[in-house]
Amino acid sequence: MTSASATGYRAGLSWKTRRLLGRVSLLGWLSGALAAVIVEHLLGRGLALRLGLGSIPLLFGVTDILRQPLMIPSTSVYVLLVYLLPIALVASVTAPALNRVAGRLLGMSTWLSIITHLAIAYTVLDLWCALNDYRLLIVKLMLVAVMITLSLNIVNGYMGEFCCSHPGFMALGAYSSSVFTVLFFVDDDVFGAALLPPALAPFLFPLALLAGGLVAAAGALAVAIPSFRTRGDYLAVISLAFTFIVKSFIENLEIIGGPRGFMSQPDLASLPVVFAWTVICMAVINNYVRSTLGKALNAVRDDETAANAMTVDTRHTKMTAFLFSAFWAGVAGGLFAHIMRYVNPATFGVQKLAEVLAMLYFGGLNSVIGSVVGAVGFTLFSEALRPLEIYKWVIIPVLLILIMMFRPTGLLGFRDFDVRKTLSPRDIRERGGRTVASG
Amino acid sequence: MGFVMQNIVNALQWGSFYAVIALGYSMVYSVLMLFNFAHGDIFMTGAYIGFFVSTGLLALSSLGYVVLPHWLILPLTIILAMFLTATVGMLVERVAYRPLRGAPRASAALTGLMVGIILQTLNLALLGARRRTFPLLIETETFQIGLASVTNTRIMIVLVSLLMMLVLHQFVKRTKWGMAMRAMAYDFAAIPLMGVPINTIALLAFGLGSALAAVAGILFGIAYPVLEPYMGMLVGWKAFVAAILGGRGSVMGAALAGFLLGFIEIFVAAVFPSTLRDLIAYSIILVILTFKPHGFFGESYSARLRL
Amino acid sequence: MSRTFMVILCLVALICAGCGSPASTTQPVIKIGINAEMTGDIPKVGEGTKFAAQMWLEDIEAAGGLEVGGKKYKVELVIEDNESKAESAVAVQTKMISQDRVLVIVGPQASKQAIPAGEVANNLETPMISPWSTNPRTTLDRPWVFRACFLDSFQGPVIANFVTEEYGFTKAAVLYDVASDYPKGLAEYFKQAWEKLHGPGSVVAYESFTTKDRDFSAQITKIIGSGAEFFFTPQYYDEVPLILKQARELGWDNPIVGSDSWGSAELVNLAGDLCYGLFFPTHYAAAGATGATKEFIDRYEAKHGYIPDDVAALTWDSMLLVQKAIQDTGEITGDLAKDRKNVRDALAQIKDFEGITGKLTFTEDGDPIKAAVIVRISDQGEFEFYGYASP
Repeated sequence: MTSASATGYRAGLSWKTRRLLGRVSLLGWLSGALAAVIVEHLLGRGLALRLGLGSIPLLFGVTDILRQPLMIPSTSVYVLLVYLLPIALVASVTAPALNRVAGRLLGMSTWLSIITHLAIAYTVLDLWCALNDYRLLIVKLMLVAVMITLSLNIVNGYMGEFCCSHPGFMALGAYSSSVFTVLFFVDDDVFGAALLPPALAPFLFPLALLAGGLVAAAGALAVAIPSFRTRGDYLAVISLAFTFIVKSFIENLEIIGGPRGFMSQPDLASLPVVFAWTVICMAVINNYVRSTLGKALNAVRDDETAANAMTVDTRHTKMTAFLFSAFWAGVAGGLFAHIMRYVNPATFGVQKLAEVLAMLYFGGLNSVIGSVVGAVGFTLFSEALRPLEIYKWVIIPVLLILIMMFRPTGLLGFRDFDVRKTLSPRDIRERGGRTVASG
Repeated sequence: MGFVMQNIVNALQWGSFYAVIALGYSMVYSVLMLFNFAHGDIFMTGAYIGFFVSTGLLALSSLGYVVLPHWLILPLTIILAMFLTATVGMLVERVAYRPLRGAPRASAALTGLMVGIILQTLNLALLGARRRTFPLLIETETFQIGLASVTNTRIMIVLVSLLMMLVLHQFVKRTKWGMAMRAMAYDFAAIPLMGVPINTIALLAFGLGSALAAVAGILFGIAYPVLEPYMGMLVGWKAFVAAILGGRGSVMGAALAGFLLGFIEIFVAAVFPSTLRDLIAYSIILVILTFKPHGFFGESYSARLRL
Repeated sequence: MSRTFMVILCLVALICAGCGSPASTTQPVIKIGINAEMTGDIPKVGEGTKFAAQMWLEDIEAAGGLEVGGKKYKVELVIEDNESKAESAVAVQTKMISQDRVLVIVGPQASKQAIPAGEVANNLETPMISPWSTNPRTTLDRPWVFRACFLDSFQGPVIANFVTEEYGFTKAAVLYDVASDYPKGLAEYFKQAWEKLHGPGSVVAYESFTTKDRDFSAQITKIIGSGAEFFFTPQYYDEVPLILKQARELGWDNPIVGSDSWGSAELVNLAGDLCYGLFFPTHYAAAGATGATKEFIDRYEAKHGYIPDDVAALTWDSMLLVQKAIQDTGEITGDLAKDRKNVRDALAQIKDFEGITGKLTFTEDGDPIKAAVIVRISDQGEFEFYGYASP
C-alpha cells in the first residue's frame, strides 16, 4: 500500500467516524450517557475491584492516574468499558431511532422536547452523583459556577465592560439568603427561634434565593450609578472598589458573624434544587441575550453612539443588563451558601474574582454555551488535577494562556445557543448528504 | 497636631509604594490600553530579585571576592534588579501579551492574570513556604522632625519615589521614545502608519514598568522586610485602582492617585475606627469617581473594546 | 466497519479486564486523611502539618505497621491540599471520606477551613481532629469533631492575667487583623478579660487592619497617642516582625505581647533582635524542652533544618491521639462505618494523654483541657519556658 492511499484510507476512516457521530442527536448522546451511568451502577464496583482499582474512579480516573501512573492501563480500561463503549454503542446503534424520536418530540412541542432532554440529563447527573458524595458536591459547585459565569458573561461579554464586582454580588446574595433561611427556619442563638415551621423551608427557599438576588441587584445600583456617567474602564475600578467595600462591610457586621463567618444554614440546596435553578438561569439568560434587549446590549458594546442614534436607550439598556447580571450572581451566591452551609467574607475576595474571570474567558465571551463549558471545564480541571498539588496552579494558567492564544475569545466565544437547533435530529440524508457541523 | 504630622509622614511612605507601582501600571495602560494584571506579581518578583541580588552582593563582599563599600550595595542592587526585572517584564510581554495583540483586550488582561498566578506558584514551588527577610542595607535611624518621628529609610523611600516619577516624566515628555509612547496612547491605530514600531514601544513600556516595579519591590523590602509569594496580589489590585484613577495617558496622574490612595487609607484608619477602613476608604474612591468620572488627569475619551 | 471495530475493541477490553488481578486479598490498610493548607495564604502551616504527619508515618513503618488488637496493619496517609479556601477544604474532606475511605482525618488547621470541613465530617460520621483551629464553633455541637489546641476563650484571659501579674499594667491596646478569624476572636476575648480585670475603658485603643496589609503606621500612631502601657497583637509570624519594626520606628518603647500564633521559629528569623525579651503564651516551649518534646524537636530539626512550629507539634500530638484511639478500639473490623464510630468513641474517652504539647483530656465538646505555657524570647532568639499560666 502506498503512503498516499494510506492517508486516503485514514481520511476515509475519520470521515466515516465523523459521519457516524454527526448522525447522533443530543438525545442520542444523552441516552448513551444514561447507559454509561447505568453500567457504572451495575458493574462499576465489581469491575473496579477486578481491575485492582480499589474503588470506582471518581473523575474519569484522571486523579488516580496522576497519583499513580502505574494505574494508567487499568484506569483506561475502566473508562473505556464503563463510559466510552456504552456511550459509543448506544449512541451509534440507536442513532436512527432516536433521531426519529427527537424529530417527533420537537414536532409535537418544543417544551416537551426540552423537558424530555432535561429529565434524561438530570437522571444521568443524579445517577452519576449517587455513587459518591464527592461527585455530588463537585456537581453542585459546578452548577453554581455555571450560574455565576453566565451572569458575568452578560456584563463582560455581551455588554463588553470589564466588571470586577461579581464576588461582591455573590457575597450579598449568599449572606442575605442565609439570613433569610436562618431567621425563618432555624433555631439560632443569634436570630432566636425559627419564625416559621422548618417543614416550610423547602417551599420558601426560592423566596430566600430571590431575596438574595434582589439584594445583590440593589447593591449593583451602587456600582451602576457612578460608572454609567461615563464609558470606559472606570467600571473596572468602581466594581473592584465595590468588592472591597462589600467584604469590609460584612467583616464589620458582628450579627452575621463578621470574619468568623456565618453558619447553620439549613440543608436546602439538594441536587434537584440546584439543577432546577441552573436550568432556569440558563433559560432566562439565553432568552434575554437573544431578545431585543440583548441585541441592544450588543449594539451598545459595539458602538454606543451609533446605538444611541438607532434609538437604543443606552442608559436603560446598560442599567437593566447590569442589575440582571447582579441578580443572578446573587442567586448563585445564595445557592453556594446553602451548599457549603457556611460562608465567610474571605471567600469573596480577589481570588474568587480571578477564578470567575478564568472560567468566563476559558469558555468564551458572548456565548451561553461557552459559559457552561468554561465553568464545567474549569471546575472539573481544578478538581481532577488536585494530585499535582502546587503545580496545579501552574498547569491551569498555562493551559488558559494557550487557549487565549489560539482562541482569543475563549473556546466557544460568540456562539448563539439555539434551543431548537440543539435538540433537533441530525439526519444526514435529510440534509442532502452534506455533513453539517452541528452547533 | 503631632498626630496629624505623624500620619502625614506615614501616608507619604505608604502612598509612594502605590504611586510607584501605579506608575508601572499606567505605563502599560496608557500605551497599550491593557490592564496588566501581572504587574503586582512582577512587583513581587522584583522584590525577590532584589533580595537575591543584595544577599549575593553582601555575601560576595563579606567573603572578600569583591571589595564593595556598604553604601554602594543598595544602588547596585536597585540597578541590577531593575535590569533583571525589566527582562522578566519584557518576557511576559513577549509570551503572554504580544500573541494577543489583535484579541479583545480583556483576554489579554486574563493572560496577565494567569501569568501572575504562575509567578506566585512557581515562587512557592521553587523557594518553598519559608518567608524571606530582606537584608538590612541601611542602618535605620529614627529622629524627630517637629512632632513626628521619622526614619532615614522613610525619607529615602519618598525621595527615591519622587525621583523615579520625575525621571519618568522627563522621559515621556522629552525623549523621542516618550513621544512615541504618548502618540500611541493618543491614537493606537494611526501610529504604525507613522513608522513607529509598535512592538518595540510595547516592550519598552513593559520594561520600564517592570523596572519601576523592581524599585518599588526593593523599597518595599526595606520598609516591610518580610517577603512572601502572594505579597503582590493585594497591593497590585489597589495600585490598579490608583492607575486608572489617575487617568489614561497621564504618568503624573497615576502617581498622584497613588499618593491619594495612600493618604485616604492612612487617614481613614487614623480618624475612623480602623475596622471600617476599607469600607470608608473605597466608598470615598467611589464618590470621587462619581464626581470626577474621568479620573484626575485623563482626558475625556471614548474607550472602545476591540472586540 | 466501525461496528466490527467496536466489537473487537470490546473483546480486547474484556480480555484486559479478565487479566487484571482480582480483588486483592491483602489485609485492610488503615488510611488517615490529612487536610492541610499547602498553598494559599499560609503554606508554612501546611508544610509543618505534612512534615509532622510523615514523621509519624515513618515511625509506624519502622515498627512494621500499626498494631491494633495484636495484628499489624499497614498505614497510609492521604494528604490533600485545601488551598486555604473554605470550599476546597469541604471538597477535599468529602473526597477523603467518600472516595479514599479514610478512617479518621487530621486537619484542616485554620478555623475558616476547619469549621465547614468539620460540618462535613460530622454529617458523614467520620472522626476528625483539627490540631490548630481555636474557634469554638469548630467543635460546637459536633460529636465527631475534636481539636488538639486550647481555645481563644481560654487564651484571652490567660494573657490578661499574665500581663497584670507580670507588669502590673492597667491600660492595654490591641492591634489585630479584622478580616481573619483567629486574631479577631482572640482580640475580643482578650478585651473582655482585660476589661473584667481593670474596668470598662481600660482597653484604650482597639485597632485593626486587613489581611495582607503591610503598613500599620496609622494604627500604631493611634496606639501611641492613646497612652497604652503595652499592646497585644495576636498575629501570625509574617505580620509580627513588621508590626515590631514599625512600632520601634514610630517611637514605641513599651512591651508588646503576643499569642500562640507567634510560636514559629520563623518569627525570630524575620524579626531578629526586635522580638527579644517579649512574652507570648503557647502550647509548648522549644528551648529547654525535655523528654519526648525534645526528641521530636531534634528529629524535626535534623530532617527539615528548622525548629518545628506549634502547628507541627500539635499535628504530631494529633497523630499520636489518632494512633492511641485506633489502638484503643481493640480491633479493625473492616466495616468502615463501625470502625469510624469505634475510633470516635475511643477518642472521646481519652484521658490524661501525655502529648508533647502537654497533658490533655477531652471535654464533652471535644475540646482539650490543657495548660498554657508562657514563653519568653531570649536574647539568643530562643523560646524559653517562663511559666505555666491558667485563666
